[in-house]
Amino acid sequence: MTGAAQTTNRAAPRQGIDGDKLLTLLCVGLPLIGLLLFFLYPMVIVFLRSLTTAEGSYGLQNYAEVLGSGGFWRATRHSLIMGGATTVLSVVLGFVIAHGLYRCAFRGKRLIRAVIVLPLLAPSLVQALGLIFLLGRNGLLNRFFGLEIEIYGFWGLLIANTLYALPQAVMIIGAALVLLDARTYEAAEVMGALPARQFRDLTLPAARFGILNAAFVTFTITITDFGNAAVIGGDYSVLATEIYSQVIGQRNFNMGAVVGIMLLLPTVVSYYIERQAMKRQQGQQATNALPFVPQFTPLRDLPMAGLCLAICAMIVAVIGIVVYASFVRLWPYNLSLTPRHYDITLAGGYSSLWITILISLMAAAGGTLAVFLLGIGLRRLPAALMQPIQLLAAMPAAVPGMVLGLAYILTFNSTATPLYLLYGTAALIAIVNFYHYHTQAFLTVMTGFRQLPPALEEAAGSLGAGMGRIAVNIIAPFVAPMLVSVFFFLFMRSMVTLSAVVFLTTPQLSVAAVTIMRLDDAGLTSQAAAFSTCVMGVVCIALLGMKAILAYLGRRGASRGAD
Amino acid sequence: MYLTVRNATKKYGTFTALDNVSIAIEQGEFVCLLGPSGCGKTTLLRLIAGLTDLDAGEVRLENETLSALPARKRGFGIVFQSYSLFPNMTVAENIGYGLKIRHVPAGDIAARVRELLDLIKLPHLADKFPGQLSGGQQQRIALARAIAVDPRVLLLDEPLSALDAKVRAELRSEIRQLQRTLGIPTLMVTHDQEEALALADKIICMNHGTVVQAGSPEELYHKPATRFVADFMGISNLIETGVIRTVQPDLLTGRPAGADETYVACIRPEQIGLTPAKDGPATVRSIGFLGNLRRIEVDSPFGPLVVETHGAIACREGQAVQLTIAPEACTWVANDEAGGAA
Repeated sequence: MTGAAQTTNRAAPRQGIDGDKLLTLLCVGLPLIGLLLFFLYPMVIVFLRSLTTAEGSYGLQNYAEVLGSGGFWRATRHSLIMGGATTVLSVVLGFVIAHGLYRCAFRGKRLIRAVIVLPLLAPSLVQALGLIFLLGRNGLLNRFFGLEIEIYGFWGLLIANTLYALPQAVMIIGAALVLLDARTYEAAEVMGALPARQFRDLTLPAARFGILNAAFVTFTITITDFGNAAVIGGDYSVLATEIYSQVIGQRNFNMGAVVGIMLLLPTVVSYYIERQAMKRQQGQQATNALPFVPQFTPLRDLPMAGLCLAICAMIVAVIGIVVYASFVRLWPYNLSLTPRHYDITLAGGYSSLWITILISLMAAAGGTLAVFLLGIGLRRLPAALMQPIQLLAAMPAAVPGMVLGLAYILTFNSTATPLYLLYGTAALIAIVNFYHYHTQAFLTVMTGFRQLPPALEEAAGSLGAGMGRIAVNIIAPFVAPMLVSVFFFLFMRSMVTLSAVVFLTTPQLSVAAVTIMRLDDAGLTSQAAAFSTCVMGVVCIALLGMKAILAYLGRRGASRGAD
Repeated sequence: MYLTVRNATKKYGTFTALDNVSIAIEQGEFVCLLGPSGCGKTTLLRLIAGLTDLDAGEVRLENETLSALPARKRGFGIVFQSYSLFPNMTVAENIGYGLKIRHVPAGDIAARVRELLDLIKLPHLADKFPGQLSGGQQQRIALARAIAVDPRVLLLDEPLSALDAKVRAELRSEIRQLQRTLGIPTLMVTHDQEEALALADKIICMNHGTVVQAGSPEELYHKPATRFVADFMGISNLIETGVIRTVQPDLLTGRPAGADETYVACIRPEQIGLTPAKDGPATVRSIGFLGNLRRIEVDSPFGPLVVETHGAIACREGQAVQLTIAPEACTWVANDEAGGAA
């Protein structure tokens, strides 16, 4: 009986279902092909190239050679020391600011929040540029106080990296602190715990995973960053600059690949631990936590406010001086103002800025669409298929931009496959930017999808809506705020990123961050500052645009009573 | 038979959600799937809706096999516990969505939406968004949305569970009225036996992925087939055969033949007479005031019993009482949970 019923089931025409099946296949298939072709395949290539010897056979000679060279070990040691020092410094400062923002009562928090994100709005090398204007040989401090501070090297790089990693540390630790329920503190208060005790017994343990997570994120950012190291690192070579000099300086791609793989190891480990920490933290989340509203306590809040303001002042000084210097006639001898540095004399002028805006729009539009389709498709796949795809989609964050860029040049600058056609095009740079930041974009959209109740889709389905209609009428409006965030995130990152694209620019096709580096290399520091200011201007406009759209969506949601 | 499910089986890994279940719904009938959580009732509803695939068995509507048809082609209406209105659409757009998909002209949709809003007595809410409405209003609109397309079957998945008591009672009678007026065959999932008793033409009582008993509310309440049904459908005093034999052997009259542990006696609390008596064999342990009735716990020769009486009674806690149980008040039910905890 049962067997017969099953046979009829199979034999029955599955009319209509095929349309939805085809759509699911497309939704998952297109982004998946992208991931395989533009992430997994280049990563395989870079791995194979690291094993390819000069004679063309496979072997571990490259590794032996790299591991036997003093330069590599020096760069590794530097990378690890720099990563560790930056991590400690930025987590401590990040905790101070996050604690100030979420656990203390003082005015000006909006200002602090705004200042804290500034380093994210500029190419990473802007911090280094700012420090040079402030503390370099011709910097303000040395000129006016007759000091002899040497900023190139460890200390300069440490400060630049810390400023660059700080926003992330503040956001991650802040997210952990904001989860703490006010009622827990009220309970502790009633039981007679003093504030210091509450901090030790409640705040610190709850922020533990946030701190751990922030530590791994800042460590990864630091050891993979190229811009700051290139501008202010001086003789203090790190792995990222080592790859650059192997590839660009010595045209030694296979050795570059080896160093890339070595750089991949710590980031993969760090990323894995970070993900585990994230899971633990999500497990802790109370669904309806009562937000903590701090009361003004002078002894605690005044020093905290002072510290936060000092850190913010530092950030503003470093970024602000770049803007200021871009208008100064002859730094630091003639401080009268002039717009003349905005007339970029390097070949190409502003064309790289326009092309970068175009590339960023392409990466943002294409990337948002790709992760949206993937999110829709994944909802309809059985868990056995969904999980490996999710894993793959979350992997790119573990790969440093330098390594991804190197993988791209090895893959696409080879005439072996038709993919060569993409080499030297703006499209390829848009693609590398998207896959560089694929994980963050994907996870943001997935967060939106997780909040979408399955019953909504089922209700629409029962009313007769097919998958395409459900995607347009039900899902897209629901996840719209996430899509807007992802679009602008991809746009802003593409505007400022340097590490992944530095290998892919050609004399005919450059991007903004690379132009800034070239201007600085050519000694045109003021023009580099001017160009940086333009990039920051574009990114600021994008950020304001995003805030406006999200505020509009939020207001509309509120007027519709959505919570 | 209008809608039939035959030999439906559904497994999730090693867990059997439905084990060879067969049910039927007549044209115009209101059927309740009743059972504790995890009994498979929602799984059964979902596979009738086409939201879950069958492992084995079939779903049939008159002469048409539905098993291979996706949810959107079945023409059923469904209402969820969580309302599930589309938050980005107005009330009118929500109700008209199914018609829009069917390419009904805009003018006809507007007319139908107005008609339905009148039917659910919320004509003034057409341009509101779901987030601005109360739970009861949202669920009424979800109901209107489901019936807008003249569904062949209406499926209700615990539609009242998220509402507070007063709204629940109101909406319960409205659902009943609406279903009677429109005559749409309806299947409702609930874990609330009171709701099932009040609404259903037929109750299908489920446990552990199987149908335990199907029948009219009266049948299930007064003639429960098993100890599980007796226990689940309201309060019952369940007494072992041996105890009955020693305390009041005349109650054994209606008992089917079988070993002592195969059947237990089921006596509803309202069918036990209670009178104060100085030398009575039972003692009042506690009296609960439930407004229109009193629920009295008694220590008796049968063991602890629950008795319900209407209005005030002339006894206090600790008082000795006499209990009277008529032989026809005693139903013998299969002891399906012999040895196991209820």
